[in-house]
Amino acid sequence: MTARRLLPLLLLLPGGPAFGHASEQSFVLLLPTDVYAGAGVAAVAATVLLLAVLPPHAAGALFRPLPLWHLRPARGRTAVSLVSFAVLAALIGTGLLGPRDPLGNPLPLAIWTIWWIGLVALQGLLGDFWGWINPWTGPLAVTRTLTQVRAPLRYPRRLGFAPAVVSFLGFAAVLLADPAPSDPARLARMVAGYWLYGYLGGVLFGPVWLLRGEGLTVLMRAYARLAAPGRVRGRRALGLPGWRLLRAPPVPVGLAVFVLLMLGSGSFDGLNETFWWYGVLGLNPLEYPGRTALILPTLAGLLAANAALVAAFALCVRAGLRLARANLPLAYAFRLFAPAILPIALGYHIGHYLTALLVDGQYVLAWASDPLLRGADLLGLGPHPVSTGFLNRKDSVRTVFLAQAGAVVAGHVLAVLLAHAQAVRIFGGNRRAALSQAPLAGFMVLYTLFGLWLLASPRAG
Amino acid sequence: MTRKITEPAGQTRRGALRTLAAGAGAAALPLWARYAQAQTSEPIRVGFQVHRTGIGAAYGRWYDRTTQAAAKLINEAGGINGRPLEIVAEDDGTDAKRGAEVVEKLATQLRCDVGFGTLFSHVVIGSAPRAGELKLPYFVVSEGHHVASGMLNRWTLQPGITDVKSQVQAMAPYVSSTLGKKVTMIFPDFAFGHDHRDYFTAALEAQGGQVLEHIAIPPTETSFTRYFPRIPRDTEVIYHVMVGPAVLTFVKELGEFFGPSRPELFGFIDSLEAVSLASPGLEFLDGSYFWEGNPRYAQSDQTSHDAFFREQVGVDENGASVSDPDDVSTYAHMFGCWETLYVIKKGMEIAGYQGPDDRAALIEAVEGIGEMELSDQHPQGAKRFNGKTHQAFGHQYISQVQGGKLIKVHTTSIEDTLYPDEVDYTTQSL
Repeated sequence: MTARRLLPLLLLLPGGPAFGHASEQSFVLLLPTDVYAGAGVAAVAATVLLLAVLPPHAAGALFRPLPLWHLRPARGRTAVSLVSFAVLAALIGTGLLGPRDPLGNPLPLAIWTIWWIGLVALQGLLGDFWGWINPWTGPLAVTRTLTQVRAPLRYPRRLGFAPAVVSFLGFAAVLLADPAPSDPARLARMVAGYWLYGYLGGVLFGPVWLLRGEGLTVLMRAYARLAAPGRVRGRRALGLPGWRLLRAPPVPVGLAVFVLLMLGSGSFDGLNETFWWYGVLGLNPLEYPGRTALILPTLAGLLAANAALVAAFALCVRAGLRLARANLPLAYAFRLFAPAILPIALGYHIGHYLTALLVDGQYVLAWASDPLLRGADLLGLGPHPVSTGFLNRKDSVRTVFLAQAGAVVAGHVLAVLLAHAQAVRIFGGNRRAALSQAPLAGFMVLYTLFGLWLLASPRAG
Repeated sequence: MTRKITEPAGQTRRGALRTLAAGAGAAALPLWARYAQAQTSEPIRVGFQVHRTGIGAAYGRWYDRTTQAAAKLINEAGGINGRPLEIVAEDDGTDAKRGAEVVEKLATQLRCDVGFGTLFSHVVIGSAPRAGELKLPYFVVSEGHHVASGMLNRWTLQPGITDVKSQVQAMAPYVSSTLGKKVTMIFPDFAFGHDHRDYFTAALEAQGGQVLEHIAIPPTETSFTRYFPRIPRDTEVIYHVMVGPAVLTFVKELGEFFGPSRPELFGFIDSLEAVSLASPGLEFLDGSYFWEGNPRYAQSDQTSHDAFFREQVGVDENGASVSDPDDVSTYAHMFGCWETLYVIKKGMEIAGYQGPDDRAALIEAVEGIGEMELSDQHPQGAKRFNGKTHQAFGHQYISQVQGGKLIKVHTTSIEDTLYPDEVDYTTQSL
């Protein structure tokens, strides 16, 4: 009973395996978040209206890339991947044998803070790191060279992206529902198991496995297409994030669904912390029972949220086609417009995890300052390297909140622009494009509101 | 250092290093060499069930910091029975079911001598039965009344921090004699709030006071103004124990509702633990009163023991980290870890503790510990351990907010905190 009363500052842990920090949520509730949300929604809505009256190709023009220098063919990917694999193996070993502290063992820090929070965001902002550092391509290349055996099985085309979808949902389930995703030894076994999944699939089916069957690589490749830097006719090019999506053909339907699951899972990882969700479950958010007690509702919610998002998106696309009297097949339009959701997913990822990054990033620095666990202080961080003081001040909490909200709003504005530019490409004129986009644009405006509400609403464990 | 010492299976990495590298120059000397006089140089392993992740993580961080500071001092002073002390931290995710698993792991895989440090009550209640089955002495630091109420077992003790029942009832004499006899209570409508309602109402009536109105707020509420008209006009004192993310909103709206003329306000610092009282929106609290388990701000009559405690944990005179004045500690509670470690030490010394075979003797030794004096080992104040109920009783503090700081205005006697025994654990077999 009593220690439940020790709740005032505890009520916030963004993200599933989220690490320790105090609650800025008390201060967030003092901020005029309804005003901020109104401004954010207005920005997205204004973008929609502006696009309807601007010349048809205005949105497309925004996404025209600027070609820069010539690029040479990249070499050394295999070597980098092998190094990455070696690092991962060492981390798994440290997870199994090293410190039990999830904030002191480098494995949970590397997987959840550096990779999931940090590198996924950088992949979406700056481009394809993962093509270099994924821990499978190197070992698979070496295996092929050593055994001189090509993949013995042919990847069944009819599977499409199904294994990737399943493995990504498995990842999301661990992130959101596993009782102890940061436990170093437990995480080490899960990471090793997942690596084997990718490796054995790669051995059996060849490199296509990483492109179709392994969910995290599919996720990373999807985000990489969003990044501002890219390549045009052999030259490095820079453009508004998402410009490469407009130059690509419609994605396969499996990938379109996958992109929606990225957003759906990310959104649920946020919704599942709100008082609203606890109300749905009939639980008292001030008596947080621990993750173990929430496994089944969390898994059910994850699936339901994703199903609802896919259905809502498909309905919006279908309604748009009807409004524009377009005789495009629904599946084609679905494949065409789904990638426009990517900036929303990335914006939400950044917004949702920003506080976790600011706190847990300090634990990463603390580890970097003493990587061999010998009590060193290479970075001169002092005896108390981690502080959550910035979450206890209204002004710094406001700054963090506005950065989070900014990421969410920017993601939606980009999504509206992308979807409109895509529609203009298909329908030609502005009027039909705007009509075809009206339901989806309305959906995105509402989703902005939802995302900002998630950031501002009271949360439990 | 041997692998055993540099990579104990269950360590909080930095803390472990701090604990084990006890004393300047210790790193150059094999640890066991410094304890050569003991029969064995094996460390005494204290399993620290820490809320490293999950909802309790903010508290866990300070519990960890306090624990590591005390462990370092104990080692610098020669350890326990000539053996070094090793803190074996294991995260429980603030999860009741995992709590029981952690206790089992501490007892079996990690070969700990005792379990220690659990804060959140649901984790304590989930873990204690397993500790009892495994006959692992389990020293909790949770403030819960669940130990003294008799719902746990003989292997579970709370010797380093007082329980909520004693804290709440000890407030009644001061509230009724100094602030007013007509009280309105505002509390969240679930078990925690109900405990305050029941304990305080009874204690106030025993003092000749009266609770005019109980205002129970639904736990999910985030706006409170509509409840305030229920506060009777002749209310002299508002007793509030709101918790959760809306607690600052509650304070702000209460301030807006009353304006400059308001009844006296009395609350529990738990609502604002680790929140600076100089925060915007809290100006309204100036002049109001709070229970404090341990005064956050160094007082004019600060003891040398409190100064020593602050220095060792790295907390400044405002209760914040010396490395970041905004990083306010959980000062009202974290001393419990420090004091509990010293009780374990004393109990092991009395019992001549050598290993797990002496666990029962350790329980009996702690049960007989009785009075504890104000000292560097007990910087919060003197305590009296009730060996039958396994619960410590001690002084409580009432502070007033003055200029954004909490100034101590009253210290209760230990007698104010006592209540009739509800259990006698010593009748249970070990």
